[in-house]
Amino acid sequence: MLRKRLITVLTFNEGVLFRTKLFTPDYRYTANFVDAWSIDEIVVLDITRDRRGKEERFAEVVSGFASRCFVPLAAGGGIRSVADVRRYLGYGADKVVVNTGALERPELITEVATLFGSQCVVASIDAKRTDDGHYDVHAACGTHATGRDAVAWAQEAEERGAGEVLITAMDRDGHLQGYDLDLCRRVADAVSVPVLILGGAGNWNHFLAGFVEGDASAVCTQNIYHFTEKSISSAKKFLIEAGVPVRL
Amino acid sequence: MIGIVDYGLGNLVSVAAAVARLGFEATVSAEAEVLWDCDKIILPGVGAFGDGMRNLEERELVAPLTRMVKDDGKPILGICLGSQLISRASDEFGLCQGLGWVDAHCQRLAPDEPGLRVPHVGWNDLIQVRDDPLFQNIPEDALFYYVHSYFVKPEDSDLVVGECDYGGRMASVLRRENICATQFHPEKSQRHGLTLLRNFLDSA
Repeated sequence: MLRKRLITVLTFNEGVLFRTKLFTPDYRYTANFVDAWSIDEIVVLDITRDRRGKEERFAEVVSGFASRCFVPLAAGGGIRSVADVRRYLGYGADKVVVNTGALERPELITEVATLFGSQCVVASIDAKRTDDGHYDVHAACGTHATGRDAVAWAQEAEERGAGEVLITAMDRDGHLQGYDLDLCRRVADAVSVPVLILGGAGNWNHFLAGFVEGDASAVCTQNIYHFTEKSISSAKKFLIEAGVPVRL
Repeated sequence: MIGIVDYGLGNLVSVAAAVARLGFEATVSAEAEVLWDCDKIILPGVGAFGDGMRNLEERELVAPLTRMVKDDGKPILGICLGSQLISRASDEFGLCQGLGWVDAHCQRLAPDEPGLRVPHVGWNDLIQVRDDPLFQNIPEDALFYYVHSYFVKPEDSDLVVGECDYGGRMASVLRRENICATQFHPEKSQRHGLTLLRNFLDSA
Protein backbone atom coordinates (compact mmCIF):
# COMPACT_ATOMS: atom_id res chain seq x y z
CA MET A 1 0.00 0.00 0.00
CA LEU A 2 1.27 3.43 -0.91
CA ARG A 3 1.77 5.68 2.11
CA LYS A 4 0.76 9.32 2.30
CA ARG A 5 3.73 11.64 2.35
CA LEU A 6 4.91 14.45 4.62
CA ILE A 7 7.15 16.83 2.74
CA THR A 8 9.24 19.67 4.12
CA VAL A 9 9.60 22.70 1.90
CA LEU A 10 12.55 24.91 2.69
CA THR A 11 13.00 28.35 1.18
CA PHE A 12 16.41 29.90 0.74
CA ASN A 13 17.22 33.53 0.20
CA GLU A 14 20.77 33.92 -1.11
CA GLY A 15 21.60 30.50 0.28
CA VAL A 16 20.23 31.24 3.74
CA LEU A 17 17.24 29.41 5.16
CA PHE A 18 14.27 31.72 5.68
CA ARG A 19 10.72 31.11 6.65
CA THR A 20 8.13 32.98 4.64
CA LYS A 21 4.88 34.71 5.41
CA LEU A 22 2.57 35.62 2.55
CA PHE A 23 5.42 34.87 0.18
CA THR A 24 7.89 37.27 1.73
CA PRO A 25 11.06 36.16 3.50
CA ASP A 26 9.97 36.67 7.05
CA TYR A 27 12.48 35.28 9.44
CA ARG A 28 15.96 33.93 9.08
CA TYR A 29 16.72 30.58 10.61
CA THR A 30 20.10 29.78 11.90
CA ALA A 31 19.63 26.05 12.30
CA ASN A 32 18.36 23.32 10.08
CA PHE A 33 15.30 21.74 11.60
CA VAL A 34 14.82 18.98 9.08
CA ASP A 35 14.33 15.70 10.86
CA ALA A 36 16.24 13.75 8.25
CA TRP A 37 15.09 10.28 9.29
CA SER A 38 11.38 10.95 9.51
CA ILE A 39 10.65 13.22 6.59
CA ASP A 40 9.52 11.54 3.39
CA GLU A 41 10.78 14.08 0.94
CA ILE A 42 12.46 17.48 0.84
CA VAL A 43 11.77 20.41 -1.45
CA VAL A 44 14.25 23.27 -1.55
CA LEU A 45 13.31 26.51 -3.24
CA ASP A 46 15.53 29.43 -4.11
CA ILE A 47 13.55 32.61 -3.44
CA THR A 48 16.43 34.99 -4.10
CA ARG A 49 15.01 37.95 -6.00
CA ASP A 50 18.08 38.69 -8.07
CA ARG A 51 20.09 35.55 -8.59
CA ARG A 52 22.82 36.94 -10.82
CA GLY A 53 26.17 35.97 -9.45
CA LYS A 54 24.57 34.16 -6.51
CA GLU A 55 23.79 30.81 -8.15
CA GLU A 56 26.60 29.13 -6.25
CA ARG A 57 24.94 29.73 -2.89
CA PHE A 58 21.85 27.75 -3.74
CA ALA A 59 23.93 25.14 -5.55
CA GLU A 60 25.69 24.48 -2.26
CA VAL A 61 22.36 24.13 -0.49
CA VAL A 62 21.10 21.54 -2.98
CA SER A 63 24.28 19.51 -3.08
CA GLY A 64 24.50 19.61 0.71
CA PHE A 65 21.07 18.02 1.05
CA ALA A 66 21.75 15.59 -1.80
CA SER A 67 24.86 14.22 -0.15
CA ARG A 68 23.40 13.97 3.37
CA CYS A 69 19.69 13.14 3.12
CA PHE A 70 18.89 9.94 1.29
CA VAL A 71 15.32 10.91 0.52
CA PRO A 72 13.87 12.35 -2.67
CA LEU A 73 14.98 15.91 -3.19
CA ALA A 74 13.19 18.41 -5.39
CA ALA A 75 14.68 21.79 -6.19
CA GLY A 76 13.22 24.87 -7.74
CA GLY A 77 13.35 28.60 -8.09
CA GLY A 78 13.86 30.46 -11.34
CA ILE A 79 13.81 27.46 -13.67
CA ARG A 80 13.17 28.69 -17.21
CA SER A 81 15.00 26.26 -19.47
CA VAL A 82 16.20 22.71 -19.87
CA ALA A 83 19.69 24.05 -19.13
CA ASP A 84 18.46 25.25 -15.72
CA VAL A 85 16.97 21.82 -15.05
CA ARG A 86 20.19 20.08 -16.01
CA ARG A 87 22.05 22.40 -13.62
CA TYR A 88 19.73 21.58 -10.72
CA LEU A 89 19.89 17.85 -11.41
CA GLY A 90 23.66 18.19 -11.54
CA TYR A 91 23.63 19.60 -8.01
CA GLY A 92 21.90 16.39 -6.97
CA ALA A 93 18.17 17.13 -7.17
CA ASP A 94 15.95 14.23 -8.23
CA LYS A 95 13.19 16.43 -9.52
CA VAL A 96 12.64 20.05 -10.27
CA VAL A 97 9.86 22.41 -9.31
CA VAL A 98 8.73 24.69 -12.11
CA ASN A 99 6.44 27.63 -11.61
CA THR A 100 6.82 31.03 -13.28
CA GLY A 101 8.98 29.60 -16.08
CA ALA A 102 6.15 27.24 -17.04
CA LEU A 103 3.58 30.03 -16.91
CA GLU A 104 5.69 32.13 -19.23
CA ARG A 105 6.36 29.23 -21.55
CA PRO A 106 4.17 26.16 -20.89
CA GLU A 107 6.23 24.05 -23.33
CA LEU A 108 8.93 24.05 -20.68
CA ILE A 109 7.01 21.31 -18.84
CA THR A 110 6.91 19.13 -21.95
CA GLU A 111 10.57 19.71 -22.72
CA VAL A 112 11.64 18.63 -19.25
CA ALA A 113 9.23 15.67 -19.14
CA THR A 114 10.39 14.44 -22.53
CA LEU A 115 14.05 14.62 -21.59
CA PHE A 116 13.99 13.54 -17.96
CA GLY A 117 10.60 11.91 -17.52
CA SER A 118 7.37 13.14 -15.97
CA GLN A 119 8.50 12.05 -12.51
CA CYS A 120 11.15 14.76 -12.74
CA VAL A 121 8.68 17.65 -13.10
CA VAL A 122 6.66 19.08 -10.25
CA ALA A 123 4.34 21.83 -11.43
CA SER A 124 4.05 24.37 -8.65
CA ILE A 125 0.98 26.56 -8.65
CA ASP A 126 0.52 29.60 -6.41
CA ALA A 127 -3.17 30.33 -6.21
CA LYS A 128 -5.26 33.06 -4.68
CA ARG A 129 -9.00 32.83 -4.21
CA THR A 130 -11.01 35.40 -6.12
CA ASP A 131 -14.28 37.00 -5.04
CA ASP A 132 -16.26 34.76 -7.38
CA GLY A 133 -14.86 31.61 -5.76
CA HIS A 134 -12.25 30.75 -8.36
CA TYR A 135 -8.53 30.48 -7.85
CA ASP A 136 -6.28 32.76 -9.82
CA VAL A 137 -2.73 31.60 -10.56
CA HIS A 138 0.01 34.03 -9.58
CA ALA A 139 3.51 34.15 -11.02
CA ALA A 140 6.86 35.52 -9.88
CA CYS A 141 6.65 34.52 -6.21
CA GLY A 142 3.02 35.50 -6.07
CA THR A 143 3.58 39.07 -7.18
CA HIS A 144 1.81 38.91 -10.51
CA ALA A 145 -1.73 37.71 -11.24
CA THR A 146 -1.90 35.74 -14.48
CA GLY A 147 -5.65 35.50 -14.93
CA ARG A 148 -5.30 31.73 -15.33
CA ASP A 149 -7.61 29.43 -13.41
CA ALA A 150 -5.64 27.22 -11.02
CA VAL A 151 -7.64 24.06 -11.73
CA ALA A 152 -7.39 24.50 -15.49
CA TRP A 153 -3.68 25.21 -15.23
CA ALA A 154 -3.14 22.09 -13.13
CA GLN A 155 -4.88 20.05 -15.83
CA GLU A 156 -2.81 21.64 -18.55
CA ALA A 157 0.38 21.00 -16.58
CA GLU A 158 -0.57 17.33 -16.29
CA GLU A 159 -1.33 17.10 -20.00
CA ARG A 160 2.01 18.69 -20.76
CA GLY A 161 3.80 16.06 -18.72
CA ALA A 162 4.03 17.17 -15.09
CA GLY A 163 4.31 14.16 -12.78
CA GLU A 164 3.06 15.94 -9.66
CA VAL A 165 1.25 19.16 -8.84
CA LEU A 166 2.26 21.27 -5.85
CA ILE A 167 -0.54 23.65 -5.00
CA THR A 168 -0.04 26.56 -2.65
CA ALA A 169 -2.80 28.71 -1.22
CA MET A 170 -1.07 32.06 -1.09
CA ASP A 171 -3.36 33.60 1.49
CA ARG A 172 -2.51 30.80 3.89
CA ASP A 173 1.26 31.01 3.69
CA GLY A 174 2.73 31.45 7.15
CA HIS A 175 -0.59 31.69 8.95
CA LEU A 176 -0.83 28.20 10.47
CA GLN A 177 -4.63 28.22 10.11
CA GLY A 178 -4.91 25.12 7.96
CA TYR A 179 -4.73 24.24 4.28
CA ASP A 180 -7.20 25.49 1.70
CA LEU A 181 -9.02 22.17 1.42
CA ASP A 182 -11.45 23.37 -1.20
CA LEU A 183 -8.59 24.30 -3.49
CA CYS A 184 -6.81 21.01 -2.86
CA ARG A 185 -9.90 18.91 -3.49
CA ARG A 186 -10.74 20.75 -6.71
CA VAL A 187 -7.26 20.20 -8.09
CA ALA A 188 -7.07 16.58 -6.88
CA ASP A 189 -10.40 15.83 -8.56
CA ALA A 190 -9.24 17.43 -11.79
CA VAL A 191 -5.91 15.63 -12.27
CA SER A 192 -4.78 12.03 -11.98
CA VAL A 193 -1.20 12.74 -10.90
CA PRO A 194 -0.39 13.14 -7.19
CA VAL A 195 -1.30 16.49 -5.62
CA LEU A 196 0.87 18.07 -2.95
CA ILE A 197 -0.67 20.78 -0.80
CA LEU A 198 1.25 23.64 0.81
CA GLY A 199 0.38 26.67 2.83
CA GLY A 200 -1.22 27.00 6.23
CA ALA A 201 -0.50 23.85 8.22
CA GLY A 202 -0.42 24.68 11.91
CA ASN A 203 -1.17 21.40 13.62
CA TRP A 204 -1.49 17.70 12.98
CA ASN A 205 -5.24 17.94 12.40
CA HIS A 206 -4.50 20.11 9.39
CA PHE A 207 -2.43 17.27 7.92
CA LEU A 208 -5.28 14.87 8.50
CA ALA A 209 -7.76 17.22 6.82
CA GLY A 210 -5.37 17.67 3.88
CA PHE A 211 -5.38 13.92 3.27
CA VAL A 212 -8.99 13.15 4.08
CA GLU A 213 -10.87 16.25 2.94
CA GLY A 214 -8.35 17.58 0.44
CA ASP A 215 -7.46 14.18 -1.07
CA ALA A 216 -3.81 15.24 -1.11
CA SER A 217 -1.12 12.64 -1.79
CA ALA A 218 1.28 14.66 0.29
CA VAL A 219 1.05 17.48 2.78
CA CYS A 220 3.84 20.02 2.78
CA THR A 221 5.04 22.24 5.54
CA GLN A 222 7.39 25.16 5.67
CA ASN A 223 7.00 26.63 9.08
CA ILE A 224 5.21 24.32 11.45
CA TYR A 225 8.21 22.47 12.85
CA HIS A 226 9.73 25.73 13.86
CA PHE A 227 6.86 26.51 16.19
CA THR A 228 6.52 23.24 17.93
CA GLU A 229 8.60 21.02 20.10
CA LYS A 230 7.00 18.09 18.40
CA SER A 231 8.69 16.19 15.67
CA ILE A 232 7.65 14.83 12.33
CA SER A 233 7.52 11.36 13.80
CA SER A 234 4.95 12.49 16.37
CA ALA A 235 2.86 13.88 13.51
CA LYS A 236 3.08 10.52 11.81
CA LYS A 237 2.02 8.63 14.92
CA PHE A 238 -0.99 10.93 15.16
CA LEU A 239 -1.89 10.25 11.53
CA ILE A 240 -1.58 6.49 11.90
CA GLU A 241 -3.89 6.56 14.90
CA ALA A 242 -6.31 8.58 12.79
CA GLY A 243 -6.21 5.90 10.10
CA VAL A 244 -3.95 7.58 7.52
CA PRO A 245 -1.19 5.29 6.27
CA VAL A 246 2.17 7.01 6.57
CA ARG A 247 5.73 5.82 6.89
CA LEU A 248 7.00 5.84 10.46
CA MET B 1 35.54 -0.07 -7.73
CA ILE B 2 31.84 0.36 -8.41
CA GLY B 3 30.88 1.51 -11.88
CA ILE B 4 27.82 3.74 -12.18
CA VAL B 5 26.67 3.83 -15.78
CA ASP B 6 26.26 7.38 -17.04
CA TYR B 7 23.98 7.35 -20.04
CA GLY B 8 22.67 10.86 -19.66
CA LEU B 9 19.54 9.95 -17.69
CA GLY B 10 19.07 9.73 -14.03
CA ASN B 11 20.03 10.75 -10.61
CA LEU B 12 23.69 9.81 -10.81
CA VAL B 13 24.64 12.24 -8.07
CA SER B 14 22.29 10.56 -5.58
CA VAL B 15 23.51 7.08 -6.44
CA ALA B 16 27.15 8.13 -6.22
CA ALA B 17 26.49 9.88 -2.89
CA ALA B 18 24.87 6.77 -1.44
CA VAL B 19 27.71 4.50 -2.58
CA ALA B 20 30.26 6.94 -1.14
CA ARG B 21 28.34 7.11 2.13
CA LEU B 22 28.65 3.31 2.38
CA GLY B 23 32.40 3.63 2.05
CA PHE B 24 32.85 2.28 -1.45
CA GLU B 25 34.74 3.90 -4.26
CA ALA B 26 32.66 4.62 -7.30
CA THR B 27 33.23 5.95 -10.76
CA VAL B 28 30.49 7.50 -12.86
CA SER B 29 31.29 6.67 -16.46
CA ALA B 30 29.93 6.27 -19.96
CA GLU B 31 33.09 4.48 -21.13
CA ALA B 32 32.89 0.73 -21.64
CA GLU B 33 36.63 0.36 -20.89
CA VAL B 34 36.22 2.05 -17.51
CA LEU B 35 33.19 -0.07 -16.63
CA TRP B 36 35.03 -3.28 -17.60
CA ASP B 37 37.54 -2.54 -14.83
CA CYS B 38 34.82 -2.22 -12.19
CA ASP B 39 33.90 -5.07 -9.84
CA LYS B 40 30.21 -4.25 -9.92
CA ILE B 41 27.93 -2.15 -12.04
CA ILE B 42 24.96 0.00 -11.11
CA LEU B 43 22.58 0.93 -13.92
CA PRO B 44 20.53 3.78 -12.49
CA GLY B 45 18.13 5.91 -14.42
CA VAL B 46 14.92 7.80 -14.47
CA GLY B 47 13.02 8.88 -17.52
CA ALA B 48 11.67 7.24 -20.62
CA PHE B 49 12.54 3.73 -21.75
CA GLY B 50 13.12 4.68 -25.39
CA ASP B 51 15.49 7.50 -24.47
CA GLY B 52 17.33 5.18 -22.12
CA MET B 53 17.97 2.60 -24.84
CA ARG B 54 18.83 5.25 -27.41
CA ASN B 55 21.35 6.85 -25.06
CA LEU B 56 22.94 3.48 -24.26
CA GLU B 57 23.22 2.79 -27.98
CA GLU B 58 24.66 6.22 -28.77
CA ARG B 59 27.33 5.66 -26.15
CA GLU B 60 28.00 2.19 -27.61
CA LEU B 61 27.30 0.59 -24.26
CA VAL B 62 24.70 -2.04 -25.17
CA ALA B 63 27.05 -4.72 -26.47
CA PRO B 64 29.83 -4.20 -23.89
CA LEU B 65 27.39 -4.14 -20.96
CA THR B 66 25.69 -7.27 -22.26
CA ARG B 67 29.07 -9.05 -22.47
CA MET B 68 30.04 -7.91 -18.97
CA VAL B 69 26.78 -9.11 -17.49
CA LYS B 70 25.84 -12.15 -19.56
CA ASP B 71 29.28 -13.59 -20.45
CA ASP B 72 31.51 -12.28 -17.72
CA GLY B 73 28.99 -12.56 -14.90
CA LYS B 74 29.69 -9.12 -13.49
CA PRO B 75 27.16 -8.29 -10.74
CA ILE B 76 24.78 -5.56 -11.82
CA LEU B 77 22.04 -3.67 -10.02
CA GLY B 78 19.44 -1.92 -12.15
CA ILE B 79 17.51 0.84 -10.41
CA CYS B 80 14.11 2.17 -11.53
CA LEU B 81 14.44 2.74 -15.28
CA GLY B 82 17.60 0.65 -15.09
CA SER B 83 15.49 -2.21 -13.75
CA GLN B 84 13.15 -1.91 -16.71
CA LEU B 85 15.87 -1.63 -19.36
CA ILE B 86 17.12 -5.15 -18.59
CA SER B 87 13.83 -6.59 -19.87
CA ARG B 88 13.10 -7.54 -23.46
CA ALA B 89 10.83 -4.65 -24.32
CA SER B 90 8.51 -1.93 -23.10
CA ASP B 91 5.18 -0.57 -24.26
CA GLU B 92 6.27 2.97 -23.37
CA PHE B 93 5.63 5.34 -26.32
CA GLY B 94 5.20 2.43 -28.71
CA LEU B 95 7.08 -0.82 -28.43
CA CYS B 96 10.77 -0.38 -27.55
CA GLN B 97 13.34 -3.15 -27.44
CA GLY B 98 15.29 -3.41 -24.19
CA LEU B 99 18.59 -5.02 -23.22
CA GLY B 100 16.84 -8.39 -23.05
CA TRP B 101 18.82 -9.82 -20.15
CA VAL B 102 15.69 -11.19 -18.47
CA ASP B 103 12.40 -12.54 -19.81
CA ALA B 104 10.15 -9.64 -18.97
CA HIS B 105 8.11 -6.93 -20.56
CA CYS B 106 7.35 -3.43 -19.23
CA GLN B 107 3.77 -2.27 -19.11
CA ARG B 108 2.03 0.90 -18.03
CA LEU B 109 0.62 0.89 -14.52
CA ALA B 110 -3.13 0.52 -14.47
CA PRO B 111 -4.01 0.20 -10.79
CA ASP B 112 -7.23 -1.69 -10.39
CA GLU B 113 -8.60 0.46 -7.59
CA PRO B 114 -10.25 3.86 -7.64
CA GLY B 115 -8.23 6.78 -6.34
CA LEU B 116 -4.82 5.31 -7.15
CA ARG B 117 -2.85 7.79 -9.18
CA VAL B 118 -0.25 7.32 -11.89
CA PRO B 119 2.68 7.81 -11.58
CA HIS B 120 3.04 5.68 -8.46
CA VAL B 121 5.01 8.11 -6.29
CA GLY B 122 5.98 7.62 -2.70
CA TRP B 123 6.81 5.06 -0.05
CA ASN B 124 5.49 1.56 -0.49
CA ASP B 125 6.28 -1.92 0.77
CA LEU B 126 8.82 -4.42 -0.33
CA ILE B 127 7.11 -7.77 0.01
CA GLN B 128 9.90 -10.33 0.19
CA VAL B 129 8.44 -13.25 -1.77
CA ARG B 130 11.76 -15.14 -1.91
CA ASP B 131 14.97 -15.04 0.07
CA ASP B 132 17.65 -12.99 -1.53
CA PRO B 133 21.04 -11.75 -0.36
CA LEU B 134 19.77 -8.22 -1.07
CA PHE B 135 17.24 -8.58 1.74
CA GLN B 136 19.71 -9.30 4.52
CA ASN B 137 18.81 -7.17 7.57
CA ILE B 138 15.83 -5.65 5.77
CA PRO B 139 12.76 -5.96 8.02
CA GLU B 140 9.48 -7.15 6.55
CA ASP B 141 7.86 -3.77 7.19
CA ALA B 142 10.59 -1.70 5.53
CA LEU B 143 9.34 0.88 3.04
CA PHE B 144 11.03 2.06 -0.11
CA TYR B 145 10.60 5.05 -2.40
CA TYR B 146 8.98 4.35 -5.75
CA VAL B 147 8.40 6.73 -8.62
CA HIS B 148 7.31 5.19 -11.91
CA SER B 149 4.51 4.91 -14.45
CA TYR B 150 5.60 1.57 -15.93
CA PHE B 151 6.46 -1.69 -14.25
CA VAL B 152 8.29 -4.89 -15.16
CA LYS B 153 6.12 -7.92 -15.81
CA PRO B 154 8.28 -11.04 -15.92
CA GLU B 155 7.32 -13.99 -18.07
CA ASP B 156 9.08 -16.23 -15.59
CA SER B 157 7.80 -15.70 -12.05
CA ASP B 158 11.03 -17.23 -10.67
CA LEU B 159 12.63 -13.90 -11.47
CA VAL B 160 10.58 -12.08 -8.87
CA VAL B 161 12.07 -11.92 -5.38
CA GLY B 162 10.23 -8.81 -4.20
CA GLU B 163 6.84 -7.30 -4.90
CA CYS B 164 4.74 -4.33 -3.95
CA ASP B 165 1.02 -3.71 -4.00
CA TYR B 166 -0.48 -0.80 -5.89
CA GLY B 167 -3.95 -1.81 -6.96
CA GLY B 168 -2.58 -5.31 -7.47
CA ARG B 169 0.73 -7.01 -6.91
CA MET B 170 3.67 -6.17 -9.12
CA ALA B 171 7.31 -7.11 -9.24
CA SER B 172 9.59 -4.70 -7.44
CA VAL B 173 12.82 -6.69 -7.10
CA LEU B 174 14.14 -9.07 -9.74
CA ARG B 175 17.00 -11.54 -9.51
CA ARG B 176 18.64 -13.79 -12.07
CA GLU B 177 22.06 -14.96 -10.95
CA ASN B 178 24.37 -11.92 -11.12
CA ILE B 179 21.59 -9.62 -12.34
CA CYS B 180 19.40 -7.86 -9.82
CA ALA B 181 17.08 -4.93 -10.16
CA THR B 182 14.85 -2.77 -7.99
CA GLN B 183 11.92 -0.71 -9.23
CA PHE B 184 12.25 1.52 -6.18
CA HIS B 185 15.18 3.81 -5.45
CA PRO B 186 17.37 2.35 -2.69
CA GLU B 187 19.52 5.48 -2.81
CA LYS B 188 16.42 7.51 -1.86
CA SER B 189 15.01 5.10 0.70
CA GLN B 190 17.03 6.11 3.74
CA ARG B 191 18.39 3.47 6.08
CA HIS B 192 16.71 0.44 4.53
CA GLY B 193 17.65 1.60 1.07
CA LEU B 194 21.25 2.03 2.13
CA THR B 195 21.19 -1.44 3.73
CA LEU B 196 19.95 -2.98 0.50
CA LEU B 197 22.57 -1.12 -1.46
CA ARG B 198 25.25 -2.29 0.96
CA ASN B 199 24.04 -5.87 0.53
CA PHE B 200 24.60 -5.54 -3.20
CA LEU B 201 28.00 -3.87 -2.79
CA ASP B 202 29.13 -6.45 -0.19
CA SER B 203 28.00 -9.47 -2.19
CA ALA B 204 30.67 -11.72 -3.63
